[in-house]
Amino acid sequence: MRKILGRMSFVLILVVFMIVVPGFEANAQQLVIGAIYVGSVNDYGYNRSFHDALTEVQKTLPGVKLLEAENVPESAEAERVMEGMIQQGAKLIFPTSFGHQEPAFNVAKRHPDVYFYHAGGWMMSANFGNYFGNTQTAWYPMGVAAGKMTKSNKLGFVIGIPIGFAVGNVNAFELGARSVNPKAQTIVVVTGGWSDKAKEAAAANALLDQGCDVVAMHVDSPATVIQTAEARGAMSIGFQSVEARALAPKGWITGLGFTWAPFFTDVAKSVIAGTFKAQSVHWGLGPGGMVAIAPFGPAVPPDVRKLVTASADQVAKDFNPFTGPIVDNTGTVQIKAGESWGGDKMGDFKWYVEGVVGKVQ
Amino acid sequence: MSTPLALGVIAGAILSGTSLLYATLGETIVERAGIVNLGLEGILLIGASTGFAVTAASGSAYLGVAAAAAAGGIANLIFGWLVVMRRANQLASGLAMMFFGIGVSALVGRPFVGAVISGLPKWRPPWLAALAWVKSTTLFNYDFLIWIAVPVAVLVWWLLFETRWGLGVRAVGESSAAAFASGRNPAVVQFQALFAGGLLGGLAGAHLSLSLTLTWAEGMTAGRGFIAIALVIFSKWHPLRAIAGALVFGGAEALQLQLQARGADISPFLLDMLPYVLTILVLLAWGGSRRHAAPAGLGRTFYGTE
Repeated sequence: MRKILGRMSFVLILVVFMIVVPGFEANAQQLVIGAIYVGSVNDYGYNRSFHDALTEVQKTLPGVKLLEAENVPESAEAERVMEGMIQQGAKLIFPTSFGHQEPAFNVAKRHPDVYFYHAGGWMMSANFGNYFGNTQTAWYPMGVAAGKMTKSNKLGFVIGIPIGFAVGNVNAFELGARSVNPKAQTIVVVTGGWSDKAKEAAAANALLDQGCDVVAMHVDSPATVIQTAEARGAMSIGFQSVEARALAPKGWITGLGFTWAPFFTDVAKSVIAGTFKAQSVHWGLGPGGMVAIAPFGPAVPPDVRKLVTASADQVAKDFNPFTGPIVDNTGTVQIKAGESWGGDKMGDFKWYVEGVVGKVQ
Repeated sequence: MSTPLALGVIAGAILSGTSLLYATLGETIVERAGIVNLGLEGILLIGASTGFAVTAASGSAYLGVAAAAAAGGIANLIFGWLVVMRRANQLASGLAMMFFGIGVSALVGRPFVGAVISGLPKWRPPWLAALAWVKSTTLFNYDFLIWIAVPVAVLVWWLLFETRWGLGVRAVGESSAAAFASGRNPAVVQFQALFAGGLLGGLAGAHLSLSLTLTWAEGMTAGRGFIAIALVIFSKWHPLRAIAGALVFGGAEALQLQLQARGADISPFLLDMLPYVLTILVLLAWGGSRRHAAPAGLGRTFYGTE
């Protein structure tokens, strides 16, 4: 019913425009962009980062119309939603959840004139590209911040499922922390799901009970972990959306958020100009990158801010934290001296670095 | 300072066991009246989202708790209409109510995703707050739903086993025909039990969203409604044993997270199974014994006596 109403009102608006403003349609509306989200855009997390970026694209490029659909399941239903968007004139579609990959690829096959960029996948064709932010190296400056701020030298990290990318985030975090504080330990607690809120609260409590005074997280929405830490007077480092700082007015240190706007703007421009090229794009920190550092909280002193910013600049330039020799927490050398792991290896972490308390499998 | 494992587990057990206890108490009343409500998960979700929505909109967490309880009660009345008035199959209706709850809670909660609430106020007796081993944990720093959880369990026990009303509920649960013959109206008794159970289910949901997590997310109960149904069996349909059951199950979850935080050399996936392994063991240990059997009329539909 809502879909029908939505379409009706869209057609109505279209008709009004065509009658009232002749010629307006062709000039002003250069591109219709569709975006589908697996959750709600108000989650202070992953979904919000895409919504914020597309809103920014709309500001930069006048004449872009945005069609958004929240809570789109990772099933054939996603195909129907995208087909609906194409019927409404969408020429560029951003399926944003990992599980939207195959439904989107199916739709892309049926509509070679519509362009797709999928977040976090690997599938590609002439009109279907993929992209994601390199978060792993970006966690290094977060570790620097945590290592400087901690008093107990115990840092907590709540992760949903220990996939390689999440393990890599933890590893860079600990490497960064130890670069400024050799005593810093990172304790990992796995909840077993990306969105089990009650367990995230219990996990954060377990870490705080253990004496951690800084917690970080890699789950869908950082809200529960940050608020649990804030309520117990601990500090937090956010992830997914830089807006999460609103949840911890006292204990917020800093955080990482995705900034897709520069990339989305480039893609939208290429579709308008007719020069779209499907690629596999992976950008990290830095101007125009896909990952950005959130503003610092009030508790962070100026010298720490300077140190973190400098470390982030180094990572953005050419510094790779995963440069050997790197030893795991059982004492085995995992990256030999002289070797380093690049962006293609970020999903391959099956071990935690020295200083991390936890086990991957 | 780090907390000893036992303290951490007890603190965690109380925090996550509270909502389990309310849900279990609610389901116990309902099952004592002869009705299985597999839709408990949906009731929890409706309670969690309604409570969060009302709190976010009004700014009062207490109003949110009241709304959550009312919403849970009303949802159970709808279930009652299906299985008592329309005499629909309880198991099928229960599952349908679960999906109904998932959908309704998503609809109600959607505009409020990401809202920031301050949640239920917490209170710790000052003389306890002075103790160092208390201060470093969440122990005794509780909202009113935790403080009254055990008294509520005692109240439910008293209602079920010490009052005429409770006798009626249990009579209907054992045999609707016998209760009917003794002058009770089974339909009325079951509706009362369902409403009371729904209120408690709503409170269980409210505690999750308004105290434990301070967020609303779709499907955030993550199967706790089903754990509560297993807990009813674990506690042998007895409200006081439900206290122990909720603590054991809450403790199992807390233990696995606390062990991880202590760097115990056990796979997180193995630890994750702990609560469920416990459920299976309990069902195995108590299955098939006459003494631990369910109310005799559980799940049976009463068609009247003619």
